[in-house]
Amino acid sequence: MLCDRCQKRDAKILYTEIINGSKKEQHLCEECAADYTSFQMEKPLLNSELTLGDLLSTLLDNYYTTSQTKETGTNKTDIECEKCGTSYEEFLQKGRFGCSNCYRSFNSQLGKTLKGIQGAEVHTGKRPKGYATKMDRILKDFTEAEKLSLKLQEAIEKEEFEEAARLRDIIKQMKKEETNNA
Amino acid sequence: MLKWYEENAADSDVVISSRVRLARNLEKYPFSPKIEEEQAITLVNEVKEITPALSQIEGRRFYACNISTLSEIDKTAMVERHIVSPLLAEKKQTTGLILSEDETISIMINEEDHLRIQAIVGGMNLEQAFKEADQVDDIAYDKLHFAYDEKYGYLTACPTNAGTGMRASCMVFLPALSAARMIQKLIEEVGKYGVTIRGIYGEGTKSLGSIYQISNQKTLGNSEREIIDNLNRIVSQVIKQERKRREYMLSVNTDEIEDQVFRSYGVLKYARQISSEDAMALLSQLKFGADCGLIHFNREFNIHKLMMGVQPGSLQWTLGKNVGSATRDQSRAEYIRKELPTIIQDK
Repeated sequence: MLCDRCQKRDAKILYTEIINGSKKEQHLCEECAADYTSFQMEKPLLNSELTLGDLLSTLLDNYYTTSQTKETGTNKTDIECEKCGTSYEEFLQKGRFGCSNCYRSFNSQLGKTLKGIQGAEVHTGKRPKGYATKMDRILKDFTEAEKLSLKLQEAIEKEEFEEAARLRDIIKQMKKEETNNA
Repeated sequence: MLKWYEENAADSDVVISSRVRLARNLEKYPFSPKIEEEQAITLVNEVKEITPALSQIEGRRFYACNISTLSEIDKTAMVERHIVSPLLAEKKQTTGLILSEDETISIMINEEDHLRIQAIVGGMNLEQAFKEADQVDDIAYDKLHFAYDEKYGYLTACPTNAGTGMRASCMVFLPALSAARMIQKLIEEVGKYGVTIRGIYGEGTKSLGSIYQISNQKTLGNSEREIIDNLNRIVSQVIKQERKRREYMLSVNTDEIEDQVFRSYGVLKYARQISSEDAMALLSQLKFGADCGLIHFNREFNIHKLMMGVQPGSLQWTLGKNVGSATRDQSRAEYIRKELPTIIQDK
């Protein structure tokens, strides 16, 4: 049935009005009902945040339940973030993390979740200026010769043999100098 | 200094503005669901301290304030002008704002994330919006330690924002596509490419005056560059389709459309009271007519500025007081009469 007012959308609401004893019935769609009456299905500005959260938690919940039942045969486990105390259950309900450490605490599950809602699980965009990655930190403690060895490995894997031979010679030279100095 | 909506910009017949928003959080405070009022106060103060550093950006001046201490009218007017989000305006906790004088850059403090850095420019220009937001992000990172993880990127309160924390969006004016009832189809179409179309004030809001927002849905797995390129491609397609539809509408219906445009002008110019919905619908007609060259004015004038000006908050802000809806409708009509330029007859 079409809405009595706009004649375009489906009528979902039966609105009965009694003015001075005479009764008037109208079949209205949600939009017209909100315009015509004081009846509001949702507040135009804010409430939507809530629905998004609800939707998200449903999505997360389904995801976890199915994936965990499959893997371990049990339902949800209760992990808790040691920094802010947000439990995993709470995260599912609200669809929000409690602090940055939650990402670490829920790490074992998170990759799959993110893949579910974002289609990917690894960031490939901007890195803050001056941010040292794990690799940077490891490399910091390496000697020049060790760094070159890594490059040599890479060159061999890429079958760049000329570059590999050049690196091999430099490393050989370096090691020789080291033993001479010692 | 001109505000973004006062400048002439690229593709402005369809794209009203381009916006980039970056979500950032500080390592040392809990995220919004867990933050206590006392921590919120320190957070807002700490972030506000970057204001002088931001003012080093050439040609820009920044101001900081606490949103929670502003009046309801101020807050509503700011939401209508897209400076702050509805969420920030309604939040009970202490919240803050850093705003550039030209309203291009704003940083919302203690919204869903600790910082929401936003840059908004007129017309189709996502690159410029990103450049502005990125520059602010770098300066802010210098002073504040943002939560960042090698694998997950920038850590945000909601997993739908993690990674780049970036939402890029274009505000588009689609009168021809909406008149042809093609928006729903468009929404489905662009959805396949990870792009969403929503009402003018974001998530779940109604479209007013055929204005919509087109934005990227996913924030993880693609770089900022890729997200912007993808959105650019989609929006260019939408522009093309809208223009094609306008041409078609004009070719089959010029007289009727011309009549509607001039009638809209008549009502706007002579009405003694007008609601914001009516004003938006009529202004939308007028913008359409002006963009299509059906109507000419004696001076440059920005319809979008007027569209923001007729919103309840902005109107009361201009009036400087809180008034009831009947008075509001009268002052709205008066405001439009004052702002509307004269038509030049070219026939």
